[in-house]
Amino acid sequence: MSGSALIEVRGLDVRRGAEHVFEGFDLELERGAIHVLSGANGAGKSTLLAVLRGALPFAGEVLLHWRGAATIGYVPQDFLAPEAAPLTAAELLALPRQRRPVCFGLSRATRARVDALLEGVGLGGRGNAPLAGLSGGERRRLLLAHACDPAPELLLLDEPAAGLDAAGEALLEARLRDLRGAGTTTLLVSHDPAIAARLGASSTRLGR
Amino acid sequence: MSGFYDTLAAWAESGALPEVFGYPFFVRGLLAVLLAAPLFGTLSHIVVTRRLAFLSATLGHAAITGLTLGLALGEPLSAPYGGMFGFVALLALGLVWVRRRSALSSDTLIGVFLSLTLGLGVCLLVFSTRRFDVHRIEAVLFGSLLTVTDTDLALLFAVLCLTAVVLARHYNELLFDSLSPQLAGTQGQRSALIDYAFVLLLALATVAALKIVGALLIEALAVVPAAAARNVARTTRGWLLGSVAIALSASIAGLALSAHMPVPPGGAIVLCLAGAFFLTLLRRR
Repeated sequence: MSGSALIEVRGLDVRRGAEHVFEGFDLELERGAIHVLSGANGAGKSTLLAVLRGALPFAGEVLLHWRGAATIGYVPQDFLAPEAAPLTAAELLALPRQRRPVCFGLSRATRARVDALLEGVGLGGRGNAPLAGLSGGERRRLLLAHACDPAPELLLLDEPAAGLDAAGEALLEARLRDLRGAGTTTLLVSHDPAIAARLGASSTRLGR
Repeated sequence: MSGFYDTLAAWAESGALPEVFGYPFFVRGLLAVLLAAPLFGTLSHIVVTRRLAFLSATLGHAAITGLTLGLALGEPLSAPYGGMFGFVALLALGLVWVRRRSALSSDTLIGVFLSLTLGLGVCLLVFSTRRFDVHRIEAVLFGSLLTVTDTDLALLFAVLCLTAVVLARHYNELLFDSLSPQLAGTQGQRSALIDYAFVLLLALATVAALKIVGALLIEALAVVPAAAARNVARTTRGWLLGSVAIALSASIAGLALSAHMPVPPGGAIVLCLAGAFFLTLLRRR
């Protein structure tokens, strides 16, 4: 391994039932890099992110050489059940950021932090909008705001541009460049063949 | 507590309170309702968010099996808490353990556990009724506010306090994990611990409140207040307060109904809750 690698995957073996999703898969990701994962449906892109999040059992070696706070930011492909509770966009962001139950309101400090986060992803003024009332693209921006605060050591994004308009895509890419400047390592799943070139990122195409 | 009941009885005698307050069993029943309503009003909106409605029904049914198990092991019928809580907790923890490891859907697994519970319960019930009058066991099945004791009230109060402390400290974690376990897990939240802790709390509340509506109807308290409030609430605060208010008003209305009509309080409370649900459904935004 090179001394600057954050992620080191050696001989990864993951099975889905009787089928091998990964068999002897290797990957090394430099600290502070942006790396794009592409490949056909079912190639294992989301599975690899799940392995890195520690959400799936696997065989082989997955080493994360943390130097900082060992934090992972994650933007999932699906946002689960926005209608399950009458939460607003601001309350969702406040859930992991304040101790006081959100049903008793947001503290002044949390409100300021959440407003800044929403502003940063082009959702200024949408804090009081119910989650169920946000469009798919707006929910994606919300998840991006959540994943990037505080700047994580590792950022995992599963098709983050899906449902975003042109302005949203530009905002996403600008945010990823900013985070790279701050030292964040990013692993991004995308079907856009040009995104790696636009971001100056390395890439891996997963095959079956 | 007897001084408290004597004071109320004296006020009832002097006309300061309705005559019914002169009966300690009524006062105990009212207190039980006043403690259980905020308990379940609060828990129910987490139950609904975590999609545990079917699980709540299973816990209620498990309490019957726990009761019969406790009786078979020699517990008194007046306070069979060991068997009930032991079995309900074991079932709840076992169910979560299997659910976290199985590829089957939650409702399928709960169905399997419910069948197991009922099968065991029916067998043990037949055994228990050889030793106890079946009508005394019916009190557990359908609830019996008249048989609430001071110990029952103390247990309800303790569970209410515990719930308040747990939710005051971990409400946001619970809600975040309910909405997206993936995100919460990445954030460092221990999803498994939250899962186990919440079902244990629900098991405890189920057992503590069993005498109010009974094992067969306890699910109504755990689900309907939040379901009704969700129809009209636009904020989490509105949902929580609405849920508690609906639980409280339906419980008091049910108790009042049963005082004036020949219907059991448990059934009357559940009917009032259902009425609240359909009323709020009409006003749904």
